[in-house]
Amino acid sequence: MPKKPSDADIERQMEAWANAHSDVELSPEIQRQIQGKLTASLSPVNPLPSQGWLVLSFIAIFAVCSALLIGVLGKAGFHLMTTAQMAGTAVIFTAGGILFAQILAWRMIPGSRPSFPVPLAMALSGLAVIGAIAALFPWRASGPFVSEGWPCAILELIIAIPATFVFWLAARRGALFASARLGATITGLAVFLALVPLQTQCMFQQAPHLLFWHGGAAAAAVGLGGLIGKFQRHRSAF
Amino acid sequence: MSETPIDDSELRDLMKGYQRADSAALDELVRRISPPLMRYFRGLRINRTDAEDLLQDCWIRIHRSRHTYRPTDPVMPWIYAIARHTRLDAYRKGRRLDSREVLVAAVPENLAQPIHEPPGQEAELTQLLENLPEAQREVIVMLKVSGMSLEEVAKATSSTIGAVKQRAHRAYTTLRRALGKDREIAKEAK
Repeated sequence: MPKKPSDADIERQMEAWANAHSDVELSPEIQRQIQGKLTASLSPVNPLPSQGWLVLSFIAIFAVCSALLIGVLGKAGFHLMTTAQMAGTAVIFTAGGILFAQILAWRMIPGSRPSFPVPLAMALSGLAVIGAIAALFPWRASGPFVSEGWPCAILELIIAIPATFVFWLAARRGALFASARLGATITGLAVFLALVPLQTQCMFQQAPHLLFWHGGAAAAAVGLGGLIGKFQRHRSAF
Repeated sequence: MSETPIDDSELRDLMKGYQRADSAALDELVRRISPPLMRYFRGLRINRTDAEDLLQDCWIRIHRSRHTYRPTDPVMPWIYAIARHTRLDAYRKGRRLDSREVLVAAVPENLAQPIHEPPGQEAELTQLLENLPEAQREVIVMLKVSGMSLEEVAKATSSTIGAVKQRAHRAYTTLRRALGKDREIAKEAK
């Protein structure tokens, strides 16, 4: 029976393999070409602010846009909520906004370690929103489900689409690598922004309406953002 | 490690100079960082011509993103994160183009030739490394060929140290199993 190779055996072979790659020569011509190309467009740049500042700037955009939209759309729904409902939704939406702002700030800087994996953030925020609505809001329908619901879904998308564009513009200062996760992160942040004025102006504060029309539109928007990010990645590969 | 580690504090000073548009700092950075980048691309089974193209593309991306480097952070994970995306985009582009091409004649089985044909056990290992899943091979190349630490690899690949350790462990397990199997077959053949 032949002896199985030990870790030391593999390590030795790996060293030999790595050494075979270490003698890769780079032609001086290529080096000169690179230096020439880059020197031609060399100009001073200001380094990006710290990750904390980036997060704060996203939160500031989130807060200002939410306040403006509440001012425009009104707060009729706010008066229909109990204190527990107000506190619960405020905590969930604020936490969601901060979480996605942090992930977006991290994605702007190459080589920085993720503070939170995007799929986990998506799953947790989805569960938190569903859990909070299911626990805090009554499970009864007040009127026609569809005719009351679709205007909310449309309004949410009307807010989320330009908000996505605003966050994308703000994040463009970084080195963004297009991907499904980036698309989902930016739309995730925009969707949380859209949910705040939607919740405060909505007259139908019941769990089925909020889950289906508010939550459903949010999930669809994030999915669409992910698809656009994926498509962009493929396009940038050409 | 096959590579002499590059002093990161010197690289940080050069990056600061690069951000201030100091052309001498840029030249020195290109001189110091291009060889490890070239080794990284070549370690991932990319032929010399394509590796040189990737290197140029990578430097253009580094140049466009130079403002995202922060002087308090280590330089190499930032560089390798950009290199990694450059390679992934090129890989996707290659796959797209391949899928659109019409096969009119027999093509060589492997266009991406290894650096050289190593003898004996080394050839065996090269072959096995080539069969590793992409994510595992990338971690092995970064750790062994580029001489990066676990922390640096985690930053460059946007993952956690635990995930990097896990990929390296899986790669070693696969290699150990495959090497053992190969030797059994060789013994039986004798």
